[in-house]
Amino acid sequence: MKRRLVFRVNERLVDAEAWEETLALDWLRRELGLTGTKEGCREGDCGACLVLLGERGEAGPVWKAVPSCLLALGELDGRHVVTIEGIAAAGLTPVMEAFLDQGASQCGFCSPGFIVALTAFLVEGRIDPVRTLVSIEGNLCRCTGYGSIRRAADRLTKDFADLPRDLGARLAVLGKRGVLPPSLAALMTSLPEPGSRPAAAPEGLNLGGGTDWFVRNPDPEPGTGVAFTDRQAGLGRIERTGDFLSVGAAVTVRAFFEDLLVRAHAPGIEAFEAQMASLPIRNRATLAGNVVNASPIADMTALLLALDARARLRSASGTRDLPLADFFLGYKKTALRDGEFLEALLLPAAAGPVRLNFEKVSKRESLDIATANTALALRTEEDRISWARLSVGGMAPVPLAARAASEYLVGKIPDAATAREAARLALQDCSPLSDVRGSAGYRTRLLERLVLAHFVRLFPDRGLLEEFWP
Amino acid sequence: MKSWNPESVQNVLGRTKYIDDLPEPAGLLHGQPVVSKSAHGKLLSLDASAALALHPSVRVLTARDIPGENELGTAVSDEPLLVADEWTYRGQSLALVLADTRSLARRAAALVKIEGEELPVVTDPREARAKGMIILAPRTMRMGDPEAAFRDCAVVVSGRVESGGQEHVYLETQGATAQVRDGGGIFVLSGTQSPTGVQEAVARNLGLPMNAVEVDAPRLGGAFGGKEDQAAGWSALAALGAFVTGRPVKIYLNRKDDLTFTGKRHPYSSDYKLGLDAEGRILAFEVDYYQNSGACTDLSPAILSRTLFHAAGAYRIPNLRATGYMCRTNLPPFTAFRGFGAPQGIFVMEAALHKAAEAMGVDPIELQRKNLLRTGDSFHYGMPVEEARTERSVERALERSAWDRKRTEIDEFNRTRRDRKRGMAALPLCFGVSFTKLMMNQGGALVHVYRDGSVGVHTGAVEMGQGVNRKIQKVVALTLGIPEARVRIERTRTATVANTSPTAASTGTDLNGMAALVACEEIGKRLSAFRSESGLGDAPWETLVSKAHEARVDLSAHGFYATPGLFYDGKAERGSPFAYHVYGCAVLTAEVDVIRGTYRIDSATLVHDAGNMIDEVVDRGQAEGALAQGLGWALLEDLRYDGTGKLLSDTLSTYKLPDAHFLDFPLDLEFLADAPNPKAVLKSKAIGEPPFMYGIAGYFAVLDALKAARGDRLRVPGFHDLPLTPEKALDYLSGVIP
Ligand SMILES: Cc1cc2nc3c(=O)[nH]c(=O)nc-3n(C[C@H](O)[C@H](O)[C@H](O)COP(=O)(O)OP(=O)(O)OC[C@H]3O[C@@H](n4cnc5c(N)ncnc54)[C@H](O)[C@@H]3O)c2cc1C
Ligand code: FES
Ligand code: FES
Repeated sequence: MKRRLVFRVNERLVDAEAWEETLALDWLRRELGLTGTKEGCREGDCGACLVLLGERGEAGPVWKAVPSCLLALGELDGRHVVTIEGIAAAGLTPVMEAFLDQGASQCGFCSPGFIVALTAFLVEGRIDPVRTLVSIEGNLCRCTGYGSIRRAADRLTKDFADLPRDLGARLAVLGKRGVLPPSLAALMTSLPEPGSRPAAAPEGLNLGGGTDWFVRNPDPEPGTGVAFTDRQAGLGRIERTGDFLSVGAAVTVRAFFEDLLVRAHAPGIEAFEAQMASLPIRNRATLAGNVVNASPIADMTALLLALDARARLRSASGTRDLPLADFFLGYKKTALRDGEFLEALLLPAAAGPVRLNFEKVSKRESLDIATANTALALRTEEDRISWARLSVGGMAPVPLAARAASEYLVGKIPDAATAREAARLALQDCSPLSDVRGSAGYRTRLLERLVLAHFVRLFPDRGLLEEFWP
Repeated sequence: MKSWNPESVQNVLGRTKYIDDLPEPAGLLHGQPVVSKSAHGKLLSLDASAALALHPSVRVLTARDIPGENELGTAVSDEPLLVADEWTYRGQSLALVLADTRSLARRAAALVKIEGEELPVVTDPREARAKGMIILAPRTMRMGDPEAAFRDCAVVVSGRVESGGQEHVYLETQGATAQVRDGGGIFVLSGTQSPTGVQEAVARNLGLPMNAVEVDAPRLGGAFGGKEDQAAGWSALAALGAFVTGRPVKIYLNRKDDLTFTGKRHPYSSDYKLGLDAEGRILAFEVDYYQNSGACTDLSPAILSRTLFHAAGAYRIPNLRATGYMCRTNLPPFTAFRGFGAPQGIFVMEAALHKAAEAMGVDPIELQRKNLLRTGDSFHYGMPVEEARTERSVERALERSAWDRKRTEIDEFNRTRRDRKRGMAALPLCFGVSFTKLMMNQGGALVHVYRDGSVGVHTGAVEMGQGVNRKIQKVVALTLGIPEARVRIERTRTATVANTSPTAASTGTDLNGMAALVACEEIGKRLSAFRSESGLGDAPWETLVSKAHEARVDLSAHGFYATPGLFYDGKAERGSPFAYHVYGCAVLTAEVDVIRGTYRIDSATLVHDAGNMIDEVVDRGQAEGALAQGLGWALLEDLRYDGTGKLLSDTLSTYKLPDAHFLDFPLDLEFLADAPNPKAVLKSKAIGEPPFMYGIAGYFAVLDALKAARGDRLRVPGFHDLPLTPEKALDYLSGVIP
């Protein structure tokens, strides 16, 4: 819909009547002539279109790199976008100089995206070598082979090792050291007031991060009514409510993995974050969107199924809860009724923490859709499994809760025979297809191994590896 | 400011203007091709009424609107600009829709109704050959008498090798803007590696003389061969639109269209037979290449010839027969891509050698070392091997990578670990430099010294990230004896340097840098004559130049360079087709996850012969980038068409190319020291393509690890079907691939 939007782009305040569903990328390039932001794919896979987005957090603005090709203009209201032009307004920055010293820009088409990603890395201020690489995992470069880019990034990691923790102080340092023009850095400590109230329209199209929807609708028709879940009060929270851990519809994948309640409930879960999409996508993608999209190979859905999640659906007439396994009716078909939206995902937490493992194989190890995935959550008492949930993705038209296998596991000792039987039972529910990501036969062979891998990983002391692969 | 590449400075500031970034001229129309929706069919009717009704700005152009010749093919006339009667691949242009905005043009294009009669589709090269669908005649290179030599062999192995296609994924997609020029004629701003090729195509399609068509090539956002011949069609369509409507027209493909409509690296299917004596010396090699050429000839003949020239890899083979077939299929015309047919040939050679090693129960490195080319040998096309640096590179790479120690460590690791296995492999490199088409080995330059002492350089080279402008800038600065900052490399345009060869075959600097050097020497000669005549002594450059100008000395010069010594007798398949060869060696290690069938490259050691480097930063970047693409081709990039000729990997979410994690391993790169090359500008060597081949070592390193998982790595049979995706790895581990 058309409404009044007020936001900042670099150092300039924009106050405009505009179509909310316009892509930020198009608008920046065409309306503002900010052509430093490039289109390399229009589907979130290349990072050439990255911009810095400042949005309201609990304690002031939060800055992240996000793909502008999957970002609705309406999402900018009351926010601040920084593009390469804003970063470069006062000339070369240390990030750019590191690139130049290493020859990290060849054809240069990817360069603005990388500069934005690494600038975001410094603005976020959590500097360590692992995060350095993660910060550019959403950017493709076809020319350099990344060697020079990694060398440049590593140097920045050294040069900016101890940035202040407080955003204001950090931005001041970054301004002083030329990472951002000081005037821009000063503006980035606060956000403008939104121009208008967005529609809270559960009847219309609800968008989370848009990382699925815009891939399917790369040229949205003006007039498509959209409501953004992150603009609705309370949907961005993870909280303990009674026996459940409630994950609001607007919670992003990144926020989920970083959340302390989540980490306490499934210790070690953060290790699986890297297997889902890329940082810029995780910055935007929601768990709710992952679920509603109902893709059979959705990674967060596989995790949620193993965590035994329920979907809380809200409509004008109230809410209803549904086991997540019952939410998927067929290929990309869900139990969501007209006028209903997914308000939260509820993780039963009364019985205490679970042990969790997630397995995913894709053609490329990172930033790729799974060929098959599976998650196993369980609790043990003494030697035996006392509770288990196994999920399977990529093996049927819907994400599967492997019910028979899950039930079978209860009361069993996790030995090789148990694992093999669980794999056999899980495969009984499967009807994989052959497609560009793999043949049906491959998927079957793979899934069996991934289920066995769960047990190897969760019970490392049982000598399972030796039994399976003598 | 440090001496950074001035163009890179603009890149990182986000100020480089690629085609879609430039301000659009007033009245611009956007063009969107209407393409075939099946791989083979007869066009019966094309109904544009719904498209035209969408918006008054919509225009629909078809073959009938082409005033000149409806043809793009240069080697063979088999590629219409717009299909008039029969389409031969899916995504072939049938009409061009023009409209005020890009999204209108796209929507209108979707409304054009095509009726056609479906015709049979062939996608497999062997099937095409069996049906006689061959482009031109098969071609054979021969040396010695392989048939006889096989009889003397102690070991003979044979097999079949597959290698897949590869999408370029230049980050900037194909595009062009065309405008009618004052006084008639057409100006095209084209994202091309071949401005003259575009000029010729536009002239031909519009029925204009070449001088009525001016083509400018701005900096490209990557090309890799994909914008050599295949940029012409989009430019020609934009030119057609401008010519017919009188308004500027821009065509800029989105990613999906670019992936679907354009050609890629040729897939090959090959049969080989290799014979060795009991000591492991190669005596005879026979190979048949079935090149999947796609639906149109495009550059396939030149690519096939490079395959044939590289049939023996880096090895001395006394008796050899290599035959290539260009198989016509109903897929988009496969085209130039870094390496240009050589990787496909070299992969077959390596596969054969690895198979022989299995048969003999020896480590492949032994056979590789035993058979390396040496100075004084002869290539199978009759050219003597001059200054071979094969052994030098290989020995150095083995030393630098601590091969023997690593082999022991890997064997030990493999003995103790069940869930993971490691592997290692080497690739010795020998790559011939020059266009295989003789005529193309020429370059031109126009150098202006302005009277303030600054210098403007025009050449035929197109900058696409490979650093050619940087190198030419240095060549000019060095030759004139002035600081680099005084030298500016101008955008490539056909009106300043004419009849240029495409910037391809790694020869950009060799040809254009040399032409610039020739021009600078000419100006230098005039200036030094003037210096002594006028008694200027050691007056600074600026003074010299301004005085020379006052004295009416010509401060501009055109330089021309044609690579000397090249000749080739196509009938005898004998000659000297290359100016020189590039040598090197890669050692790669890999680790396989035996449970999941996934793997990663652990390390790479490259020893590479780059001659006397003009710019080490550029050369390092080229070597690293080429290795990355080579690894992508060998392991990851899975170009898939289904049996109906539909591209399945038609987005970047289904076509995966290397990302930063995939390439997160230590890379040790050493350039051969003391390796001047008298055959190229400032004793340098071309660098764009050769290091691509190193990716092949990645295939064999992963395979080595997989073999270790299956048993005795020296004897277990491998398989040679590239890319070695995780799917194939698991199929091999679980015995589905025997
Ligand atoms: C480059 C890239 C990589 C990706 N990699 C992965 C990956 O590795 N693993 C993976 O699982 N997925 C991946 N995805 C897919 C996608 O990012 C995820 O599915 C993501 O979780 C979707 O969330 P979203 O908030 O962006 O969804 P959106 O696009 O906002 O929404 C998706 C759908 O759900 C609907 N919807 C959203 N929220 C609600 C709600 N609260 N109530 C009702 N309907 C709602 C929307 O209307 C829309 O139809 C990737 C996507 C991209 C672009
Ligand atoms: S354009 Fe590729 S991620 Fe946005
Ligand atoms: S420099 Fe060309 S894509 Fe990165």
